[in-house]
Amino acid sequence: MKIVRYVSIRPDAAWLNGVPVPVESKGLALLTDLYRLHVKDYPKFFKMDLLSKLGVVATELLVEDEPGRFDPREDRAVLLFSRTGPLCNDRNYQHTIAEGEYFPSPALFVYTLANIVTGEIAIRNKYAGDTTAYELSSFSPEHFVAAVRAAFDDRITTSAICGWAEAPDPDHFEAFMMLVQQDAPDGLPFCEETLRQINPNLR
Amino acid sequence: MEELIKNLKLQIIEALNLEGMTPDQIDDNAPLFGDGLGLDSIDVLELIVLMEKNYGIRLTSPAEGKQVFQSVAVMADYIAKNRKK
Repeated sequence: MKIVRYVSIRPDAAWLNGVPVPVESKGLALLTDLYRLHVKDYPKFFKMDLLSKLGVVATELLVEDEPGRFDPREDRAVLLFSRTGPLCNDRNYQHTIAEGEYFPSPALFVYTLANIVTGEIAIRNKYAGDTTAYELSSFSPEHFVAAVRAAFDDRITTSAICGWAEAPDPDHFEAFMMLVQQDAPDGLPFCEETLRQINPNLR
Repeated sequence: MEELIKNLKLQIIEALNLEGMTPDQIDDNAPLFGDGLGLDSIDVLELIVLMEKNYGIRLTSPAEGKQVFQSVAVMADYIAKNRKK
């Protein structure tokens, strides 16, 4: 198994395979800029919660140049790890059910589950494989590698969009995601050591 | 009525996060669903909340909603006749 591409996004910058991705804005505007530059024509993006926006944009950077980009496929899994999951959206939803102003928002409610982000990535990219969202107190390379390897044991999965996506509020978010393939000729070995090498925060 | 339609369009754009869209781009008589604005089932629910929150109108039956949400013009007409605030 190899890491074919990897992406990091933070409020102040984005990198693809360790190389900065040209983008000028900061914070939430950075995600919108990345959408306009790379996703371009998916207005549903603007209805998504912060975590889903982060996951969809990060995935776009990983696969936008891939041959057969939107061909439906069952052999690609989506596995994301997070600490706070959709907490940012949960807070927004809570405001709509506050005492004295009780107008629950259906559009916010649908994003109050931690696994919606993996679903949004799958829908956008026509992936019909396994989608899983884990909530952990911190990113553990050991746990992550074990979970992703296990996803490949179903004899269907041959590649996966996977990683860490954390978005507690519009000023604090982080994606560290990658495309892992079973039989890729090129790429980095998919193991704990590689993860620590390509993500300084894990050292 | 013109003012109500303009305000309604602004409220719809905000409630449904129709990014980059202006009131002028929404045809008063175009269908809100399908070929028109292309809204989905969650958007319908948001419109129901919008009607209650902004105009005190509570839509209770799906058939009524289907009738009211035909277009912005139909919505505005219904609001003008039934609004409680």
